[in-house]
This record gives sequence, C-alpha cells and structure tokens, in this order.
Amino acid sequence: MGRHMHLAVSLNIAAADGQDVLDFGQISAFVRDLEAAGVDMAIISDSAEAPSSSPFEATTLLAALAAVTDSIGLVASASTLAHQPYNLARRFASLDIISHGRIGWNATLAQNPREAANFSRPEGFSDDDFRRRAKEFINIVRRLWIGWSRDALLFDKASGRFHDPEKMHPMNFTGEFFSVRGPLNVARSPQDRPLLVMSGLKQADLDFAIRADVVLLDKRQPPEARAACEEIKRRAHEAGRDPRTIKMLAVADARQERDGGSLKALCLSSGCDGIVLTVQPRADALKDFVERLLPDLEQHGFAKAKPGRTLRDRLGLDEDGRS
Amino acid sequence: MSTRQMKLGLFLWATGHHIAAWRHPDAHVTAGIDIDHCIKLARTAEAAKFDMVFCEDAAGLREANVNIASQTSRSIGFEPISLLSALAAQTERIGLVSTASTSYNEPYGLARMFASLDNLSGGRAGWNLVTSASPIEAANFGATGLRPHADRYARAREFATVVTGLWNRRAAGHDGESFSVRDRLDIPPSPQGAPVMVQAGASDDGKDLAARTADVVFSAAQTFEEAKAFYDDLKARLAAYGRQPDDVKIMPGVAPIVAATKAEAQAKYDALQELIPDDVGVALLSSYLSISDLGRYPIDGPLPELPESEGMKSRQALVIEQARRDGLSIRELARYFAGARGHWRVVGTAGEIADELQARFEGGAADGFNVMPSWFPGELDAFAKLVVPELQRRGLFRKDYEGRTLREHLGLKRPV
Ligand SMILES: Cc1cc2nc3c(=O)[nH]c(=O)nc-3n(C[C@H](O)[C@H](O)[C@H](O)COP(=O)(O)O)c2cc1C
Repeated sequence: MGRHMHLAVSLNIAAADGQDVLDFGQISAFVRDLEAAGVDMAIISDSAEAPSSSPFEATTLLAALAAVTDSIGLVASASTLAHQPYNLARRFASLDIISHGRIGWNATLAQNPREAANFSRPEGFSDDDFRRRAKEFINIVRRLWIGWSRDALLFDKASGRFHDPEKMHPMNFTGEFFSVRGPLNVARSPQDRPLLVMSGLKQADLDFAIRADVVLLDKRQPPEARAACEEIKRRAHEAGRDPRTIKMLAVADARQERDGGSLKALCLSSGCDGIVLTVQPRADALKDFVERLLPDLEQHGFAKAKPGRTLRDRLGLDEDGRS
Repeated sequence: MSTRQMKLGLFLWATGHHIAAWRHPDAHVTAGIDIDHCIKLARTAEAAKFDMVFCEDAAGLREANVNIASQTSRSIGFEPISLLSALAAQTERIGLVSTASTSYNEPYGLARMFASLDNLSGGRAGWNLVTSASPIEAANFGATGLRPHADRYARAREFATVVTGLWNRRAAGHDGESFSVRDRLDIPPSPQGAPVMVQAGASDDGKDLAARTADVVFSAAQTFEEAKAFYDDLKARLAAYGRQPDDVKIMPGVAPIVAATKAEAQAKYDALQELIPDDVGVALLSSYLSISDLGRYPIDGPLPELPESEGMKSRQALVIEQARRDGLSIRELARYFAGARGHWRVVGTAGEIADELQARFEGGAADGFNVMPSWFPGELDAFAKLVVPELQRRGLFRKDYEGRTLREHLGLKRPV
C-alpha cells in the first residue's frame, strides 16, 4: 500500500496567566523528539481567546526552532489582522530560507476576537469582512512569494550584475483592502512558496481552499470531514489542480486519543491524508505524547514519509510556481 | 584612570557596507540567502566581545531603478526579526538589535515580536525604531504615498509610548490618534526587563524622540566636530525628559579598512572604489539626497542647489556640507559616499584606527561605535583580529562580557 498517512503535531504555546509555560529548551527538545520520530511537521500557534503568558510569539519561535532542527517541517500560525501582507510575506519567505525549505504558514480564516481590539480596530470586523479581507491578504502573499523568478540571482561579480533585472516582477496590486506594489526584498525561497496551510474554513470558504497546500479539518466528525475533503478535492479538480496536491489533515486532540489504531481509523474513515494531533502546552503533556502516543502512531504506519529536501518534497507536493 | 569603555556594534548588511562589496573577489556573494554565513559573522562578533549585532531594515526595495538595483546586492536579504531570532538560538551573549518601522507596523504586534526575541535570547534584544523615509516602502502599504516627516514622527511618538507601556506593563489600554490597544501584552518580560530602545533619527524631531525614548543612538558623522556637535546636542536634550547623560549611549557609524600598513589599507580601499559603476554611485547618492534625477547633471560638475527633502533632512545636509567643503564633483562625491553612505571612514593600521576611535571616544564625541565592515567576511575578520585587541590592550574595550543581557553589556538601567 503506497499511501502514507501524514502526521503533524499542533502545539499552541499560549497558556493562561498563572499557568506554567514552556521555555525554549522544552519546546525545542519536544520538536527534536518529533523530528527523530519522523513527524512531518510541527504547527505552532501562540494565541488563545484569553490572554496568555507564554514568553514567545510563533514566527520568532519558528525561526529559532529552524536553527536547531534539520528535517522536520515547521509551520506557524500568523493572523491576517496582526500583520500587513508585505511584512508577513517577507517573514515567511525568510523563514523558508533560514530553514532550507521547511516552512509553512497557517492562515486561519477564523477571527480571534482579541485581535481587532489590540490592533487599532476597536470597531472590529464582521465575519464576512474579515474573511474577504483574509482572502485578499492570502492572495497577495502568494503572489509576493513568487515575485522573483527562480533564476533571478546571477551573482556575477565580473559583469557587475547581481540579479537579472528582467526577473524581478512588481505586482502592482490594488484591491478592496490593500494596495501593494512589490516585489519582496527577500529572494525566492527554497520551496518557491512556503506551504500554505489553511484552517478555520467554513462551507463558504471551500472554493478558496483550493489555493491551500494543506487543509486542517478541525472539530468535525469523520463523515463530515470526509464530505469536506471530497468537496475540496472536487473543486480543485474542476479548477484544473491535481487534487492530490492538497493534503487534508483531520485534527484530533491528543488528550482524548488512547492509541494509534483509533487514529488510523479516523484517518481512513474521514478520507484524509493524515492527522494533526493537538498537544497541550505543558511539560507533562509533551512527555506523555512523546513516550506513549508517538511510538504507537509509528506502529500504526504514521510518520513514515522519507524526509525530503523540503517540506513540499516530504509531503509529495509539487514545487509551487503556480500563480 | 576612568574605567569607561567603548561600546561596539556590528552593523550587518548584505555583502558589506561598501556599495560594490559583493564584487570583491573574496566577498561572500550569497550573504542574503545564506543563514550559515550570518551565523558565522555573529559568532565572529561575539568572540570579539561586541555588544551587539545590528540589522538595518526597509519594507521594500532600496532602489527604484531596476537597472541600478540589479548592480547591487541590496535588493534581497533576510527579514531581520526572523534572522535575529535564528541567531538567538546560535549565539549566547551578543546583543541582537533589529530595525522595525513605526509607519508599517502596529504597536501591539511589534511589542510582541520584540518581547519574543528578547525571551528567545535571554534578554539580548533591541529595537531600532525608524519612521521609514522611502516612497518605495510606502507603496507596499497603501496607495497614499509617503507621509510627511512631521506626521511620521507624530505617529512614531505615539507608537513608542504604546510599545514601552506594553513592555513595562504600565496600565492596559490606549486609545490615541493613530492606535488603540485594549489589553496588556500577553508576553512576559525577559531577564533584561524590556528590549533596548535604539534610534537613529537626526532631524530635530528625530533627536527629540531619541532623547525621550532611546537607550542607544546611532548617527552618521564624518568629522570629529560633527560627531561632537551631535553628541552634545543629543545629551543636552535628555534633561528635559528627566534623564541623565549616561542613560543614552551614542554610537556613530564607522567604516574601517584595516591592514598591516597604511599603504596596504589604502590599496584595499582603492581597489573597492574601482568596483563602483558610476551610474550606481550617482543613483545611490541621489536616493540619499531624496532627488530622483541627479544623473542629468554633468557628472564632473558640482552638486546643484537642492530643495530640502521630506525624506532625511539631516543626512541631506551632511552630504551637501561635505561636497561644498571639499569642492567635490558629483562623481567624486558619489564614489566617496557610496563607500559608507556618509558614515565615517577610517583607512589605516590597527594602531591608527584605534587612535581615531580613541580620540572621538575620549574627546566626548562618542560612547562607542557601530562598526560597518566594507565587505564580509574579510573586513569584519580584520577588525576583530587587528583592531579589537589593540583597543583591549589600551583598556578601551572589554576583554570579556561583564553580564548576560544587552542592557548589562551597555551599562543601562533596567526600565521602570
Ligand atoms: C546607523 C544608522 C542606521 C539606520 N538604519 C535605518 C534602517 O535600517 N532603516 C531606515 O528606514 N532608516 C535607517 N536609518 C535612518 C534613520 O532612522 C533616520 O531616519 C535618519 O537618520 C534621518 O533622520 P530623521 O528621520 O530624523 O530625519 C539609519 C540611520 C543610521 C545613522
């Protein structure tokens, strides 16, 4: 049987005030354990509805993790309200270069109610506006990531051409919410584009989800997840995209899972390409996961992908030069 | 003898600070995409006991003219907060200072980012606050163009107040002209209390903001007199904000070229100058003067009369002053300027360079220096190997770190 069941681990480092928080040593040791066990990627997020007292923000933490790991994929959640598209595109392109092609951006289409209030939007966004804005944002970021052609950098000391001026493409975008000239001042990254992971999708977003490389299907029963999977793959096919190049991962909570067998059943019955396990940000939860659940998951055939050159390779995704 | 010692920053930038750095035969030409190279440079500076690594930043290309841009290495590089977060995991003691703009960020997000870098590094982070003077950056953040200097600084003042309030855990809630923030910062303080505040403004508004908020001030000054005037001016502004002269460390930029003999150093410099294409030199000069078309004046003629710009008033004045003083043609000025962008250049032996630094340090024109190697890694290696030991021998620079945090290195108080 050729089909791999992918395994991702999601760690939200946000911990409520007063609770113990994970330090960098604990987080990096955990991620290295995941790496050693062949987990495809770690997905880091840093915000909850209640204020957190974790010492780290996800994208900066990801950079530090990239510097102390070699092969595991690293994904950070970053909000479209907390960043500008140009800045976010730069950050993730840089992370992709720093990690030699192991980075993804988890773009959530669900709004964290704390954000508007802290980012100078006290009036907030309606859900509809938020989603329209998020989609425009994501489209800009995807275009910025490929603003430099792959062969743009010449490094030709003798002729004095550092890059080929024809191979740097401004985007000159003007939309409903943003206006961005581009191009990025960061080179094309090893994966062409960092992986685009989408979560928080509603039924109305499924058309948009065909831009994703990875979709996280959270809080769904297997039949419902299966329907969403099939729907996204069908729409991808209709839009001329090979449906196999969108990986669907079913989200499950490590606290509630006893063994790898039930997760394998979940993966198969939901028609997903793998699973994401959410782990609580506490030392004992990390330890329990690594010592108890992880070996059992390996036993049941998860996390067996060969480490590729990049995260895309590892997940069997194409290089992404599409526009 | 006083035990006051100078502070040293390593100003990291692409392939080096000389505009033609990347064409040097030994320059590491892939610097902008090679993390291992950056780690190596940071470790060299750490081994030499530098106070900090400093990264510049712009949220856009540096040069609008694609033909010119493509002859420099400055159109691509790492986004500096990610770069420094990676360096935090690969270094132990050296300070990590990143530039970030008050014009294209929100205070809550920026405060989180730097607080996180500060925690990742165990208290070694700093923020160089800039207001971003380039219309190229503005075009990546809306269609309304570059805002006037005074507006940018009004926004920057409010921004800095909100950020330091968040870091220092003053009462939550801000509802101001440009920003509103409801909650406290959701990231706890690092061992140094809060990131070090750095500023490099040189206009009246800029210096005033620095006097109010900065722990470290970078500047660009050619002559001793300019450096001293800037130093005295900035320190004199502190009292109005209830601060002591020692609360702020002023670190002008210096672009050293060092070799075993003066002649050798001069030859290294001349060889680099030879690598500057005229069109690149003139374009660079134009952009710092905030005029678009210096290229249409005769290249061997004098600098024309220029209107005051909305971009960088102080830098413009400095360049014009130098052209008049030395009677330089556009070509000469462009070449001279291209080397270190109006920063101070010293070419000589380790002893000669140490003499120059010592004179400014002891003459009350600097608390330390932001070292801008002409190309990487060679000129950094040479400075670390030749000049640093000479400064240490003279008791002017530390032989080992006194503490662990950037505030400790700089001898700064914890924020209250
Ligand atoms: C050493 C040094 C580094 C600087 N780095 C940056 C930078 O990275 N990004 C930027 O936009 N401006 C940078 N500047 C420009 C200053 O922030 C400031 O805008 C300039 O000195 C003009 O002063 P003014 O803003 O008060 O007019 C730098 C200046 C100096 C002296």
